[in-house]
Amino acid sequence: MDSTLFSNRSILTMIHGIVLGGGALMALSAALFSLRAMRVANPSQASTPSGSPLLAWLVAFAAASLWATVLVGTYVSFPDYRAMPPEGLTDLAKFPRSLLQSNPETAWLHGFAMEIKEHFPWIAAMLATAVAFVAARYRSTLLTDKRLNGMATTLLAICFALASIVGVLGIFVNKVAPLE
Amino acid sequence: MTHTSGKIDGVTNGAALASFLAAGIGAFAVGVFVILNETGLFAAPALYGPAGGMSGRTTFAVIVWLGAWAALHRRWQARELAPQRIYVAALTLLVLGTVLCFPPVWQFVT
Repeated sequence: MDSTLFSNRSILTMIHGIVLGGGALMALSAALFSLRAMRVANPSQASTPSGSPLLAWLVAFAAASLWATVLVGTYVSFPDYRAMPPEGLTDLAKFPRSLLQSNPETAWLHGFAMEIKEHFPWIAAMLATAVAFVAARYRSTLLTDKRLNGMATTLLAICFALASIVGVLGIFVNKVAPLE
Repeated sequence: MTHTSGKIDGVTNGAALASFLAAGIGAFAVGVFVILNETGLFAAPALYGPAGGMSGRTTFAVIVWLGAWAALHRRWQARELAPQRIYVAALTLLVLGTVLCFPPVWQFVT
């Protein structure tokens, strides 16, 4: 097997996008489903929901995965993405930002997609952390209190939407100008 | 701040609302640091050179978020609050922060 089939930065990018980001999206979707499916419609007639500790762990895992994705993306992948090519270099394959900006048809992938990718995930991570805190602190109350459940679900849904948008844009960027 | 009667399962809702509002404040902080950078009014320094100014902008926003959360939590954790206005404020800040991070808005502002 060719030892250079995947470069280190290619592997790190896959860890960032697929392992951590994909894991976060899966956990977020599971948490969203659980928040609604495990909700107790009439708390006075139901026993205390037994799955609330698991839900708390699930949301905590989603938040931790999002933070890991954000930090690896910002401090590991992004520096390679934005590295400046040496003067006069014509093959920009190893310099994704410059490669995208060199073609008017792909320049939007930096000016729009990458700019969104730089900031939206931080907001998503803050939202997931807030809901994880509430899930850990309130446990079964999160499933029995309709209003608290609704607020947490809405914020987590926004978090999921932001993370999904970022994920799709990341695929676009990596398709055209991969970190190899 | 308006108080309501009746705690949720014997637990006050203050800590939950503090975390939600702080997340909104954090999101808004991200947007503000981004738009200040794009308009040239304030460029956060690069705290990690290879990542550029983004490292400063996002770190400052995280500090604002955690600071706001700590302050709100300390003040509200044992209190029962009317959630509606706080939640609307959190959502409003969240939407504003997200919009300010949207590149077409930068062109409109600058």
